[in-house]
Amino acid sequence: MKKPIPKWVYVSSGVAGLIGLAALVWRLIVGIKITWLSSSVPWGAWVAFYIYFIGLSAGSFLFSTLIYVFGQKNVEKAGRLALLSAVFALVTGLAFVWMDLGHPWRFLNVFIHWNYTSVLAWESLFYIFYIVIVLLETWLLMRYDLAELRDRSTGWRKSFYQLVAAGTPTPRSSEEKQRLYRRSLRWAAILGAIGIPVAIGVHGGTGAIFAVVKARPYWYSPIFPIIFLVSALVSGAALMTFLYAFLGDRNDPEYKSIVQSLATWFILFLSIDLLLMLAEFLVGYYGGIPDHIKVLDAILFGPYWYVFWFGQMGLAVLVPILIYIFKRDSVFWLAVAGLSGVIGIISVRFNLVIPAFVTPPIPGLEHVFDNHPRLAFSYFPSPGEWVTSIGMIAFVIFLFTLAYGLLPMFEQNNEVGAS
Amino acid sequence: MEVIQEKTQNGSAASEVDVHRREFLKKLGSGVFASLLMPILFKDNFAALADEALAQVDLPELPEPSPEEDPLVRMMRDLQRALKKPLEQRKWTMVIDLRKCVGCHACTVSCIAENKLPPGVMYRPVIEEEVGEYPNVHRRFIPRPCMQCENPPCTPVCPVNATYKRPDGVVVIDYNRCIGCRYCLTACPYNARTFDWGEYYTEDVGFLGLQPYEQVDTMEYGLDWKRPEGRSPVGNARKCHFCLHRIEKGLLPMCVVSCIGRATFFGDANDPDSLVSELIAQPNVMRLKEELGTRPKVYYLM
Ligand code: SF4
Ligand code: SF4
Repeated sequence: MKKPIPKWVYVSSGVAGLIGLAALVWRLIVGIKITWLSSSVPWGAWVAFYIYFIGLSAGSFLFSTLIYVFGQKNVEKAGRLALLSAVFALVTGLAFVWMDLGHPWRFLNVFIHWNYTSVLAWESLFYIFYIVIVLLETWLLMRYDLAELRDRSTGWRKSFYQLVAAGTPTPRSSEEKQRLYRRSLRWAAILGAIGIPVAIGVHGGTGAIFAVVKARPYWYSPIFPIIFLVSALVSGAALMTFLYAFLGDRNDPEYKSIVQSLATWFILFLSIDLLLMLAEFLVGYYGGIPDHIKVLDAILFGPYWYVFWFGQMGLAVLVPILIYIFKRDSVFWLAVAGLSGVIGIISVRFNLVIPAFVTPPIPGLEHVFDNHPRLAFSYFPSPGEWVTSIGMIAFVIFLFTLAYGLLPMFEQNNEVGAS
Repeated sequence: MEVIQEKTQNGSAASEVDVHRREFLKKLGSGVFASLLMPILFKDNFAALADEALAQVDLPELPEPSPEEDPLVRMMRDLQRALKKPLEQRKWTMVIDLRKCVGCHACTVSCIAENKLPPGVMYRPVIEEEVGEYPNVHRRFIPRPCMQCENPPCTPVCPVNATYKRPDGVVVIDYNRCIGCRYCLTACPYNARTFDWGEYYTEDVGFLGLQPYEQVDTMEYGLDWKRPEGRSPVGNARKCHFCLHRIEKGLLPMCVVSCIGRATFFGDANDPDSLVSELIAQPNVMRLKEELGTRPKVYYLM
């Protein structure tokens, strides 16, 4: 049986989510001046959260293909969780980048006046294509369970299931359901296989938004999109570890081994990510191009050094690896490792975007521009940016818990047999 | 600048506040829908509108050429010659003589006045560098307009084709189309693009409050932008456009006119007789960050 989510999660995320929604409305009315961005640091916390959630989505989705395309049976039970997270994370990422636009209501221009030389324009298409694939795959896997839920429930729940089951016929017997579900799995494998290049396009492409900018040596590197992808896989696997440890069925004899396999994937991806990061720093420092080193210095020793040392190195690397080495037998500690990774990757995302702006592209410009906060080469997210960001994330967690409560997150064959 | 004179002072009776609020909400509601549908319903016409608005009127009359004339007069003559040619045969070019720049920032300020630039928007900062150690110190000054690159890295990244290079080489921004994503700001190697955050220098200045001089419309690209109403260019990327609205009427860019050191030159590099053509043929000419392949149309003399 599915474990119910504790009430306090609903209540706290709901309340914080309402504050977030209010903050979003406030941002739309007052305008983008609620941020502490400047013309020299034009992208900040919202863009960092945007790439964070796109990464979380692509990571979760690619993780689900390990199950549905590459047949990693040992973690199969986390499959739908991964897909649902992919849907919610993508929508969150898009909400962040939408809120970041100077003219949010003009976003349709991206499709009307689509510019084929712009990576950002390509990404908009990828996001649409990707969300269709992920939604379709999720629905295919859930549809027969949804049909059964429809027949079993009453009231508004019935209408809800009627809507999302979209006319799926109820299987007559559990054998038929098995057969139909296997057919769905085949389709999911096909969709998942199509989804892999799309997801790589979604997040590798998001990395390419930055990597093609030759004005910024820190970004302008072929390794940049790859780092995006690998750290997406890290965050996806970390999220799955945490979610499955938190939500999985504890009476299931496989429960512990599933969490452990998830954690192993997480640590594996993390090691590759670490390697890439090492390469990035070593080559950068060896090359010694001033604009490049200044950014690396700012990351390691700048005013926000703790984002790297505590967030990126501590939460995202050291804590999970130490737990994995010493506390692998404890599901609780593995969940902590997952959560620590999920949160730590946020610092990785901040450090991918913002430090690129601290060095003036033209030396000496800082003496003019640092005289006004809207031109300065420094940035810290404003209270408004924090409230909107945290509030929106809370709102998404709230929606996610609602969806989790309503949707058949795990295969329900056994229950069908019993009832 | 007739518009400035036409602009009337707002009376601020208390009863108006309510009306304003209701109007604001109405505007917000319909504005959301309108701006979603606008681009579909109406053909995008910034280029056409700008071309029409910029269409030449009578060019200013100039004195007979003489050997002692001010370079400004010579450049105006160059300008008029260029304007007689079709758009695509002009190549607007700027030359800045660093030996003559005295670091007075007059160009920065006159540009702000000409284009009504708000906080965070600056088209032509003057970079100041200090060389050496006290007492052997030198200062040098480098004005930095938009380079109007021949091969601009800022235009291909725009997701909506809002910024593009005109046939005469000036890189412009269609404020009606720009969604304000600021991708182009990150892509310019010269930090020449800034963003309009919708603020005013005087809005928080004690009892005086928002000053009328900040509430006049900006006339960039020859069009009347109702910025004080919170519309574009608020929320848009903004950059130097070589004062297109001035040069199309036979006037030199504001920074050229206001330069007290006569350090900034402007003209058509396709015209071999123009002053800028002469200057960029000098051996002491250089361009910023040429190695990036941007091919700036702003040259520096050293
Ligand atoms: S200087 Fe910057 S803004 Fe101007 S054309 Fe070149 S890249 Fe674009
Ligand atoms: S800010 Fe405007 S002009 Fe610049 S890339 Fe975005 S949409 Fe294009």
